[in-house]
Formats: sequence, C-alpha cells, structure tokens
Amino acid sequence: MKKLEDYSEDIYKCTKCGFCQAACPVFQETGLETAVSRGKFTLLHGILSGKVDFSEKIAKYLDMCLGCKACYDFCPSGISAEEIITAARAENNKINGINFLKKFIIWCFKSNIRLKALKTALTVYKKTGLIHLTGKIAGILGRWGNLIKIFNLQLNQNIEYTKLSAVKEKKEMKVVYFPGCIGNYVNISAKNAVIMVLEKNGVEVYIPDNFSCCGISSRSAGDFDTFKKLAEKNISLIPDDIDYLLTDCASCGSAWEFYPDLFEGELKNKAFRLYEKAVNINKFLETIDVYIPENVELKQVVTYHDPCHLARFQHVSEEPRSLLRKIPGLVYREMHGADKCCGAAGTFCVVKPGISQAISASKAKNILDTDADLVSTSCSACKIGISQGLAGMNAEKQILSPVELLAKLYILEENIDFAKNELKRN
Amino acid sequence: MKTQLTNIKSNIIGELKKIAGKSNVLTEYEDRYCYAYDATAIGEDLYLPDAVILPENKHQISEILKIANENKIPVITRGAGTNLVGGCIPLKGGIILHTSKMNRIINIDKTNLQCTVEPGVSVEKLQQEVEKQGLFYPPDPASLKVSTIGGSIAQSSGGPRGFKYGTTKDYVLGLEAVLADGSIIKTGGKTVKNVTGYNLNQLLTGSEGTLGVITLATLRLIPKPEERQVLLACFESIDEAAKAVTEIISAKITPSTLDIMDKNTMQTIEKFHQTGLPTDMDAVLVLEVDGFKESVPVQAGRIMDICRASGAKNIRISRSRQEADEIWFARRSAFGAVARLNPNVLTEDAVVPLDKIPDMVREIRRITDKYSLTVCIMGHIGDGNIHPNFSLDLRDKDQAKRFEQAAEEIFNAAIFFGGTLSGEHGIGYSKSAFINKALGPKNIELMKAIKNTFDPNGILNPDKIFARN
Ligand SMILES: Cc1cc2nc3c(=O)[nH]c(=O)nc-3n(C[C@H](O)[C@H](O)[C@H](O)COP(=O)(O)OP(=O)(O)OC[C@H]3O[C@@H](n4cnc5c(N)ncnc54)[C@H](O)[C@@H]3O)c2cc1C
Ligand code: SF4
Ligand code: SF4
Repeated sequence: MKKLEDYSEDIYKCTKCGFCQAACPVFQETGLETAVSRGKFTLLHGILSGKVDFSEKIAKYLDMCLGCKACYDFCPSGISAEEIITAARAENNKINGINFLKKFIIWCFKSNIRLKALKTALTVYKKTGLIHLTGKIAGILGRWGNLIKIFNLQLNQNIEYTKLSAVKEKKEMKVVYFPGCIGNYVNISAKNAVIMVLEKNGVEVYIPDNFSCCGISSRSAGDFDTFKKLAEKNISLIPDDIDYLLTDCASCGSAWEFYPDLFEGELKNKAFRLYEKAVNINKFLETIDVYIPENVELKQVVTYHDPCHLARFQHVSEEPRSLLRKIPGLVYREMHGADKCCGAAGTFCVVKPGISQAISASKAKNILDTDADLVSTSCSACKIGISQGLAGMNAEKQILSPVELLAKLYILEENIDFAKNELKRN
Repeated sequence: MKTQLTNIKSNIIGELKKIAGKSNVLTEYEDRYCYAYDATAIGEDLYLPDAVILPENKHQISEILKIANENKIPVITRGAGTNLVGGCIPLKGGIILHTSKMNRIINIDKTNLQCTVEPGVSVEKLQQEVEKQGLFYPPDPASLKVSTIGGSIAQSSGGPRGFKYGTTKDYVLGLEAVLADGSIIKTGGKTVKNVTGYNLNQLLTGSEGTLGVITLATLRLIPKPEERQVLLACFESIDEAAKAVTEIISAKITPSTLDIMDKNTMQTIEKFHQTGLPTDMDAVLVLEVDGFKESVPVQAGRIMDICRASGAKNIRISRSRQEADEIWFARRSAFGAVARLNPNVLTEDAVVPLDKIPDMVREIRRITDKYSLTVCIMGHIGDGNIHPNFSLDLRDKDQAKRFEQAAEEIFNAAIFFGGTLSGEHGIGYSKSAFINKALGPKNIELMKAIKNTFDPNGILNPDKIFARN
C-alpha cells in the first residue's frame, strides 16, 4: 500500500490551477479552499516539507472529502485526490488516532455476526408489523420520520427470492457473485434480484458462504489493516478458476480494484487475477444479451443516479442506462448532474452530517426535477444518500437497482404465464 | 510548533466575527495556509494572511472594510484564485475576502439583454444560465469553469473569442463596489451607452482588486449565435500561419476565434491525449466561425481557401458538434498537457501588434533556447496575444533563475515590437517589477494618484500592479 510520502511528487505536481473547484461537491457546499483538492494538496505538501504539523485539525480537513473522484477528471495534472487523501488519512490514524464514529462503523461492518444481527432485526421489524407502527408515527417525526417512510417503502418493495424458469440454455461458465455486506446480510433484495436474473438467463452463480464486507469504508477511513483483513478473507473464499466475478453494488465492485495493492506474492497475484475477472452486473448482462420479455411492462418513469464508484472508478455508466431503456414501458429520464455524488460516501455521512445532507439534498432536487416515479442506482450506499436527500425534501420515492427492476419485470411475466397456464388447465 | 499566530488583535477578530458570523471568519493556521496562494507558481515563498473571511453580502464587506481601514489592515479580495499573476497573494498579510458565498445570479433580463450577478458566480455558470434563454456572454477565459465574474472583471479577462467579441471590459455595464473606507458606490448603469462623467466602470474593470471590492455586476449580453463551426489548419511554418491570419482579416472575415498552437504544444498534447494533432507541423490555427446558419459555411469556405493559398498543408473542419468538441478538446488540453510535463507551469501573456507575431515567436524560441528552457507557445494570434507556457520545476533554483531572466527578455522583446506586458492576465505581483518599463513615468504617477484617491491608506491589495519600492 502506498504511503503518504510516496505521493509527494504527485502532490507537488498540483499547479494550483483551481479547476477542481468546479467539480468538488464539498467545495460547492462550503465554499472553503480547505475543502477542495487544491487546498488539501497544499496542506499535505506543507506537511511533507515540514512547514505544517500533522495536527488534529488536519484530520478535520481530510474528512472533508467524499472520495467521489469528481475532481480527478477536471485535474489537468491528473492527480487523484481520492487516493492521496486516503493515504493521508491512514497516516493521520497513526499520528492522531482514528475518529470514534468511523471506528464504530468499521467495527459494525467488520463482523458478519453483527451484520446478520442487523438483518434479523430488520426481518423482525417487517414481519412483526412494527413497520406499520413506525409508518403511522413517521408523520410526526419530521425529517427522521421521512427517513423511516422511505426506509419502509424500500422494505415493502423488497424482492423475495423465487426460482424463475430459465429462458436460455445453461451457460458453461463459472460465475461467482459478490453481493457485498449490505446485499448479503442487511437488505437482500438486490442480491435476490441478481440471482434471479442470472438464473433466468441460464447463468448459474455461486456465492461462497461467509463473504465479508468489501471493506471499502475502512479503506476510505484510512484503516488499511481492517481493509486488508476483509480483503484477504474475501479473496480466499473464491476459487481460482472462475470466469467471472460479478458485483452489483458499486462500492463492492471497486474494492476489487484496490485489493491487489494490499498484498505481496501469490496473494497479490490471485487478487489481481480476480480483479481482472471482476465485472459489474449491468455490464455483464450487456455481454450475454440479456432476455427482455415483451409481453409485460413496467409503466413508470425512472431516472438513474451514477454511483461514483461505478461511473468514475469502474467506468460503467452507459450500461445501466441502456438496461433501463430496454425495459418495456419504463420511460427513462436523465437527471441533471446524474454523476454527482449522493453525499453518503461511506463514513462521510456520519462524520460530516451537515455537508452530507446538503449534498444529498441537491441530488434529491435533481431527482425531483425529473418528475420520475422512481430512482434507479446500482449501489447500496447511494441508496442511503438518496434516501437521506429525499427525506430532507419531504419526498418519497422507491430506489431500485436496474437489475431489481428487471427482476420485477420477470416476476410480472411469470405471473402472467402462470395465469395463462391456469387458463389452459381449466 | 510550526504555527504562526494571526497578527490581527483578538478584539478586532471578535468584531469581524460579529459582522460576518463566527463560522465565516477563519484564523487557524491551517486555514490561512490554504489562502496563501493562487494559481501563480511562486515556489516555496509563503505569505500568510491573518484572517480569511467569507462574506455573504455587501453590507458585511462594507463593515469589514471600515474596520480594516481604521486599523490599516490589508484586504485582498479572492474569487476562484485562478489568476496567474499572484493577484490574491497576501504579500503583507491581512484579510482575505473570499467571495465563494456570494454566488447568486440576481436576474437575467431578456428584454434589455443584460444580467445582474454577484461576484462569486463562475463564468461558466453564468454562460449556461443565459444560454438557456437564448442569450450569450462571450468572454471565455480558459479557466471559465471556475473563475468568477468578480475576478474576471478585476482582471478584465479575455479568451479565444476576444477577437470577434472583445473581452470582459466590453460587457461591463454597471458595477457596485465597496471602497476602502467602506462606502458603497455604483458605477455605470443599465444602459449600453453612457458618457455621464468619467468612466469609473472601466476604471474598476481591470483594477485587480486595488481600488474597491466589486459586489455586484450588471453585464451586457448578446443574442446567441445560431451555429458555429471549428477549423484546424496546419502549417509548416509560423510565418505561413501568420500570413493566413492577416489575409483572413483583410478579407473582412471575423472568426470568433483565431488561436494558434506551436509544434512543441502539439507534441506535448499528443504525449498525453491522442487527439490527432499533426505533430510534424510547425503550427496549427484553431479557427471558429459563428453566426446565422447560412453564413457559417460561407465563412468557413473562404477561410479554407485563404489558408490553402497561404500554404496550409491540411485543414480539418468540424461537421458535427462532436467534431467541434474534439478540436476544442485538443486546444483546451494544452495547459494540462504542459502541466503534466513538469511540476510547474508559468504562463506568460505578452501582446504584440499582429504583424509582429512571427518575429515575437522567433524571439521567444531564441530566448528559451538560450536559457535551455522548455516552452510551449500557444495563444490568441488574432489579438496578437501569445502565451508561452514554460514547463519547469521551480525546486531547481538554477532553472528558476534562468526562467526569470528569460521572462524579462520576453517582456523587453514585447515592448520592443510595440506591444506590452499583458494582454489578459494582468500585472498583479509577478509583473509589477516591469510596469515602469511598459508605461511612462507620468502614467504611473497618474495611476498612483488614482489609487491614492480611492484608497488613501493603501489597504486594498497592497503591492500589486505598481513596482514595490
Ligand atoms: C489554466 C488557466 C487558464 C487561464 N486562462 C485564461 C485565459 O484564457 N484568459 C484570461 O484572461 N485569463 C486566464 N487565466 C487567468 C485567470 O483565470 C483569470 O484572470 C480569471 O478571470 C480570474 O478569476 P478568479 O475568480 O480566479 O480571480 P482571482 O484569481 O480570485 O482574483 C484575481 C484578481 O481579482 C481580484 N478580485 C477577485 N474578485 C474580486 C472582486 N469581487 N472585487 C474586486 N477584486 C476582485 C483579486 O484580488 C485578484 O487581484 C487562466 C488561469 C488558469 C489557471
Ligand atoms: S474526491 Fe470528490 S470530495 Fe474529494 S476533493 Fe475530489 S471532488 Fe472533492
Ligand atoms: S485541478 Fe489538479 S492541479 Fe489544478 S488545483 Fe486542483 S488538484 Fe491542483
């Protein structure tokens, strides 16, 4: 893993042109030079050249970055603030220790047991009817109430796994699907959708037991030890001879890009081989010529939010849109600033709640401006950011991944087919 | 401890916080450290401000200036901090007024073709908003994505479109500004014509933050041209390119852009982006024509004929919006490409009469060879405004010294050819040492008298424009 000092030349390369101000959501909300890459590089250069102490105040400024990589495309010198700030946070953790809130979140995600407990709690919440109760009191709780409403809406829309009948011949490929911790343990709707869509298209997928969290939030907090532990576990669970490693959550997908940097020797090689096999589900479906039923439709207007980790880290932005456009009945409407960060950004929403909410609010405004019935995005973290934004604007909208929408279409089709069969039987 | 405390007394800081709000007044060392620079490469020199304030309206600015004036505290206004002449560097410490929170477009008046905006609005944001209404704000500094209206008025910025449409100064109808003593003035008005007394509007435009703080601007707009087309004409020598330019102008065609890039620039761009520039050619002209749908192909056709007759080896013409963007992408990548070559870029901004361009380019090349420096020459040839971009590493003290010598010789050459120091970037701090060469002593005396009238205590952006003594 590269250390802060390994970046000293990159940091020095910042010409201070200031172009990053045009892209940085944190700068746009705060107007502070310390919030934008130029300011941070100046401080880091000061630290590396001995003019500034690595004080706790610096840690505060380092927290003011979503890691959204938006500035990277703007930077004439081609410097990645996201990468450098991550390294700087790791350095800060050594000197000033890691922030308590971040520590707590990382602690939660680190353990599958804690994640599973969360899942059980959610199931109980839904099954026992508590969901109806909170739905009733949500109205009097203001912004928090709105969040609960969106949360409930989400849970009610969840896709339950049903075995669908395959419409294509079984494909001879070895596919592992990495659902990520939210998908695997907390809200399994997106995961169910992926499995169902793949099965429908003749792709058999294997999900090893006990996958851990991808660790991306520990990485962005600069906690490389945790990141490494989680990575090692995930890598070890995957057989070496697979053809594809599928992900749907954007953050989990980009984690595989970072894994090889963490190791040496054979583990590094394996991590790298897996990274080369890793592909986002939206892109994968494009390559297998995904089945689209024609006799059913989803009559809704949808808009798509680009997760930073998908559009800028994995360069997947056309594929999810094209999938949405293929769904019969669904009207696609592009929002303004679709690729602007949703504001959640891992631990950012907890460490800098005020700025985070403001960024989410501007996302929500762009969503509402489209008048779409629902929002689609392919990242579990973005779903949180979007919910937070919508709640702030007192609005409710379903948030589903493109694959979840496709799964809904399949379900709809099978129900119709089922009805037809019933008719025949009579 | 490497921190250095603010020099402003705590009771004054307290007053400032009362005026602008606690969270808008920053005095921590780390905060001030991030306001000690702008886009100008000044090596390891460090000029710390004593406080940074993010004002939210003119009344706050007025109150802040009253206090600063009473206590003789320097005040440096800062927009996006993209100027290339050290204009925002607090040479004597003091207060930085960062206008990032004053970023509202107050109105766009379609009938009277004008708009009123706060100083912190970015040029691009304004352009996008007026274009939605079918209007056009032409000034287009390459930094327009971020540079602010306030900053671009203070520097009277220009850009590629300057040839046909003029620069920022041609669009300022009226200004509201706070003077050093805190008084708020309005200059100009809402009319295109205005000869009522001295033109204080134009005096503030290009004043580089030394006469007042601009708090509101009324800008002239024009109808948006219907269509545009871009041409890329390649020449084996700069002389041929320059000849083509003079021929185009004498044929009474007015392209909206008449830019040039030299061989080194093209080779550097191609090193980082594959844009298909002809790296074996000595120069390319980037020309844009615009206007009514019918007129654009006519203009483009005539330009092609002239370029061919002047020796152009190859001409690319955009057939679609995408092709136009591709050519512009190549042109706009120039600065970034130079920035990737070495850590520092220093952009010069000399301007000479049009017929002296080939001589000036030759002279720049001779000087940079003499000092063994890397230079990429680009610029707005139609305006005679050339930007030699020097790519260097200022940590190399010898190289830094050589650059200084070269820059001075380039200024001398520009003046020798009947030109001047700066076409659009201004003087600020980096060129102030040369201003006496460019202007006569009487002019300097007059300018200093003006400065003194506006700002008797010399608190507004001190040690800029005029040579430090
Ligand atoms: C890559 C790059 C390309 C560039 N290309 C061009 C170009 O093509 N053409 C061009 O002309 N320039 C260019 N520039 C220079 C610069 O971008 C322009 O001068 C720009 O208009 C400055 O705007 P700003 O908001 O960044 O101002 P700043 O840099 O923040 O300030 C510039 C000066 O204006 C003063 N000022 C700022 N706001 C106010 C205010 N409200 N009231 C009074 N004074 C104020 C400041 O004190 C300072 O002296 C370029 C710069 C870069 C880095
Ligand atoms: S990564 Fe995003 S939040 Fe961080 S500095 Fe860049 S644009 Fe700003
Ligand atoms: S865009 Fe890149 S080079 Fe320019 S100031 Fe920002 S980080 Fe520095």
